[in-house]
Amino acid sequence: MSSPFDQVLIQSDVEQLEQADLSLLETLDHVLNRGLVIAGEITIAVADIDLIFLGLNVLLSSVETANEVLRKRE
Amino acid sequence: MSELAFYVYCIAERATAAELPAESLPPAIEDDSKLEWVVSGELAALSSQVPLASYSEESLAEHLSDASWTAARAMRHETIAEYVAKRAGIVPLRFGTIFLERDGIERMLSDKGRELREILERLRGREEWGVNVFCDQNILMSSITSVSPVLRELVEAAAQASPGQSYLMQKKIDALKVDEARAALNRIIEGVEKSLSDRSDDAKRLRVLKVEATEHGELKAKFAFLIQQSDFDRFRDAAEKLAQEHQPAGVRLELTGPWPAYNFTQIS
Repeated sequence: MSSPFDQVLIQSDVEQLEQADLSLLETLDHVLNRGLVIAGEITIAVADIDLIFLGLNVLLSSVETANEVLRKRE
Repeated sequence: MSELAFYVYCIAERATAAELPAESLPPAIEDDSKLEWVVSGELAALSSQVPLASYSEESLAEHLSDASWTAARAMRHETIAEYVAKRAGIVPLRFGTIFLERDGIERMLSDKGRELREILERLRGREEWGVNVFCDQNILMSSITSVSPVLRELVEAAAQASPGQSYLMQKKIDALKVDEARAALNRIIEGVEKSLSDRSDDAKRLRVLKVEATEHGELKAKFAFLIQQSDFDRFRDAAEKLAQEHQPAGVRLELTGPWPAYNFTQIS
């Protein structure tokens, strides 16, 4: 049986796409939904993050596109 | 030239701006612009210019439905926040905080200075770690008979009953199994939350997004913990022990991080 415990360090593990998929979703959830909301002159509320994720799942189903998005991270 | 606005990523102490010159940081959210620190008093906001045409409320709403546009930019935002957070304390801002003028950022830093410094102080030396709890429903269901006394009795009784009775009892057993499994999983999740909260400075239960089912079973709960860097090893060991303890019930724990403290920026 595989280990019931995983530690995913979010830096620099983009080669492992399986992990990277998850970390991409987690990252989007953090950046789009959390963090301090300061009333800027324009403040964007991301209304439906599930919708973005659904779109992203379609995007990630193509490995090449996923790599491309992740490369932009570097 | 098209009109520009200022996108703000995070806020740090003034000293951080001096230690980490903007030129040394990862690329800004848009390729053709550079990061800059906007300083006011003891605080500094990391920002870069963006074309107002794509970052106005109406056009952003449109762009946000384009997953690749959003993902690439959210990643840029995160990479910058992570880079700075690894080296200094920051208050990470949510995606899409935009000012029309540099002055507006300065004003915000001075108006909200006290609260921002308070958050920075609270986060000092601490990191956010995520804990995801997955459960394999099949393993949970098959393990449940052995841990539930009520179920065990029923199963034993059904084995000795007549075929007709046994059929009805089996129905009852199946329904009870579902309930007991749900209750057992809730107990495990509450136990994980309690035990890890005790080893952290702050904890939050987060909502689980619909799309987060994986091959490791379904994501059942998601937590964020604020942990002092020097306490992390103890926290990690506790999480690993919990994972081993609950493995027989089909539960897996995943620890992600360190994150900038996105979930712990509320002004108290």
